[in-house]
Amino acid sequence: MQPISDGAMLSPWEPGIFSLVLFGLLVLAFIGFQLFIAHWVGEKKESREKSRVYESGVIPTGTARLPLPVPFYMVAIFFLLFDVEGVFIFAWAVVFRELGWTGWLQMAFFIIVLLVGLAYIWVKGGLDWRESHRSK
Amino acid sequence: MKNRLLDAGDVVINWARKYSLWPMFFGLSCCFVEKATALTSRYDMARFGAEVLRPSPRQADLLIVSGTVFKKIAPVVLRLYEQMPEPKWVISMGSCSNSGGMYDVYSVVQGVNQILPVDVYIPGCPPRPEAVLQGLVQLQEKIVSTEKPARKVFHLGGGTQGTVAPLLVDGHTKTRDSRGTGYQGMPLRGSSATPPHFFDNRSHLMWTPPARRIELTQGDQSLAAVMSGRFPGSVNQLPHTSDMMTFTVQENSLKDVLRFLKHEAEPRYRRLDDLTAVDESARSDEASFTMIYQLLSLDGPARIRLKVRLEGEEPVTKTITDLWPSANWYEREVYDMFGIRFDGHPHLRRILMPHNWQGFPLRKKYPGRATEMPPYTLEDAQREQPLDAAEFLSLGRRNEKDKDPFILNLGPHHVSTHGLLRCMASLDGEEITRLELDIGYHHRGVEKIGERQTWHQFIPYTDRVDYLAGAANNLSYVLAVEALADIRVPERAQVMRVLLSELFRLSNHLVYFATFAHDVGAMTPNFYTFAEREMILDVVELITGGRLHPSWFRLGGVAADLPDGWKEAVDAFVRIFPRRLREYENLITKNPIFKARTEGIGRLSLEEAIDWGVTGPNLRACGLEWDLRKKFPYSGYENFQFDVPTAAGGDCYARYLVRVEEMRQSLKIIEQAAASMPSGRYVTDDYRYAIPPREDMLTAIESLIHHFINVTRGPRIPRGEAYAATEVPRGEQGYYVVSEGLGHAYRMRIRGPGFANVQAMPLMARGESVADLIAIIGSLDYILPDIDR
Repeated sequence: MQPISDGAMLSPWEPGIFSLVLFGLLVLAFIGFQLFIAHWVGEKKESREKSRVYESGVIPTGTARLPLPVPFYMVAIFFLLFDVEGVFIFAWAVVFRELGWTGWLQMAFFIIVLLVGLAYIWVKGGLDWRESHRSK
Repeated sequence: MKNRLLDAGDVVINWARKYSLWPMFFGLSCCFVEKATALTSRYDMARFGAEVLRPSPRQADLLIVSGTVFKKIAPVVLRLYEQMPEPKWVISMGSCSNSGGMYDVYSVVQGVNQILPVDVYIPGCPPRPEAVLQGLVQLQEKIVSTEKPARKVFHLGGGTQGTVAPLLVDGHTKTRDSRGTGYQGMPLRGSSATPPHFFDNRSHLMWTPPARRIELTQGDQSLAAVMSGRFPGSVNQLPHTSDMMTFTVQENSLKDVLRFLKHEAEPRYRRLDDLTAVDESARSDEASFTMIYQLLSLDGPARIRLKVRLEGEEPVTKTITDLWPSANWYEREVYDMFGIRFDGHPHLRRILMPHNWQGFPLRKKYPGRATEMPPYTLEDAQREQPLDAAEFLSLGRRNEKDKDPFILNLGPHHVSTHGLLRCMASLDGEEITRLELDIGYHHRGVEKIGERQTWHQFIPYTDRVDYLAGAANNLSYVLAVEALADIRVPERAQVMRVLLSELFRLSNHLVYFATFAHDVGAMTPNFYTFAEREMILDVVELITGGRLHPSWFRLGGVAADLPDGWKEAVDAFVRIFPRRLREYENLITKNPIFKARTEGIGRLSLEEAIDWGVTGPNLRACGLEWDLRKKFPYSGYENFQFDVPTAAGGDCYARYLVRVEEMRQSLKIIEQAAASMPSGRYVTDDYRYAIPPREDMLTAIESLIHHFINVTRGPRIPRGEAYAATEVPRGEQGYYVVSEGLGHAYRMRIRGPGFANVQAMPLMARGESVADLIAIIGSLDYILPDIDR
């Protein structure tokens, strides 16, 4: 795969403010029209039951605003963390040849640090987000 | 000009609506199976523009009320209807929804049109899938020919759209009398013959031989000797029984006897097979009840029945939940139905009837029919609401300081609950910490009906106890009555019964295969397995004339002989099916996603399974080779070669494997039955009990008399009691019939396998995640009418 470094491959930046504004307005008008049609057309009958939350046909318990434990939140955070680190590795892949062995060494160190971090999380049970599985 | 534009608008809008109806995924009972079948390949409802069933009322504009509208579910039906957006239409599908149908019983609303407006009625019990399509077409025609939606759509005032049919009011715009109008003041046939009201019943004038008497086995005799030595004076063996060894036990020593039988007796009676009661008030002078405890020994194999007499109007006895945890629901049911209290029960409360129900339905004085009670109206449906989920989950919570759980309510109307079951889970994150079940949304009062329909009339009700097992249901019932009256069944009829039962086992397991795979995300099998299921139902239809509910077995045989061409039809199916099954297995059995979703999920140990009375494939998935067809052979199963598949682990995957292998074994039985079909009569010539075939009825006066009596007031079944159980696709289904020598039963008890199987579900679900709950529900294969009956 050829690295994309040649600026000529991208279209030139020639801002045409008029067409942009026109386009934007058209989009807004179209969205507005759609929303209006969806809102206005059709019969509406309000009733207490209809505005009630649908909960398998029974009256829901309590409200929807309540503290809810999200145990997989740690997993999500870790995913984000490693995902962002991945960006550096992709960037390095693009300039792999230019950086040479120095770059390789530096990235190898970087990846090893990441792996150690991953192993630490794993060992600590940070990836087992379910209580019962942790105790098993 | 404006009017012309609006007229054109009407045409366009109606045309668009006609071909884009969105039915809700909503089913109440048997009818829903046929409604769902209408979606599958042979019937293909998508051709009519009603393509996908929507799981939420918000996305649907067509409510097909398919099945029995129970008083406990009626508020939910109404709410779902009201939560649908405008415009909306209602089709009432099946006799139950139309008028209550054959269920004129305390728990059933006699027609959904008392609480909802209805556009189209589809007759039938259940209507065929083609009838669903016709109902849909009729609704389309109604939309095109009567509705003027454009004015409503553009807010111009006037116009019509959606359903505008009025609610019907009993006595004014409709009658609940199943005979039609004009019969007011004339008693319904049958009800007056039911105790305690009837005197001088003509059945008393008939003579029948006494009930069957069994010889006790060596093991039973020695156990009886041990028991009378150990509990002198408090246990009494009944001298004659028709089915199993029976003792009457003094109430105060009952628990000792049960403990002895469970832990020390030889063999040990480890399973509580059934627990129920009989209201004696109509056959004895004082108000009293008999508690029935029936135990089963897996080592014997043997059964034993203990009877305990309780005195008084509001009797109290001790709970046995500390001996068998499964007694919990059984005792609640006895309390709900008879008003007998159990001292020490963890949470004694109603289980089948709504929480604020008045009276105890299975008491003899309680009215059996809905038409003897005031009509169920819109106001009732708005007022009587199911209890809040938090109330179920707060029951038995150790202390109120437990952190507030997140409560997830699943059901009673939910795609994944496979019927009207309500699961309430308290969650910690996604993990289930507690699961409470609310059943009874499908209580059809069939045990009460059994006390008023004659012995023959009751057969169609048995079909509907497990609506996916069809004729296999008839078998448990007719076997119980045949055991009591000692009716001998010709060999040909026995093999025909086996053939039909196994065809229904296959058809049930095919539905299981499809729905279970669907539950864990594999939608494809649905469209395939229903094709083979249709093949089976074609064979069933050829033989019996019916599909879901053939009601084809009779006391002493079956309803008719095999028709021409049955062999070819069965053989064709036997030839095709193994290859198809292999194909399905290739799709699912080693599918990594399916395995990840099911392996190790919802484990149940063998100990727990036995303790909780789990039966059928769910028990065999725990590793125990226990099948009534082998252990207590009936209807000639001992003459067939087949294996009892088991699996290890007791998880969802094991439950799946057992059923797939059972399909192969069932096919083997079908093949053998077809190949070795004996010649001879299809029904016994003992016309004292059996309904004589038409040729005999028209040519012999004796047969004519028997025919007349047996179809009108019913045969007189000798005084006594008998229990018979068969291995229906879901487990052990048993009928305990008590006769007082009348044309109908004195007490009709049905032991459904689902009741025990589902009671053990919280055990499997605890500690699993919410998604796993769906897999567990799918793997258990329960059906609501046999849980709630």
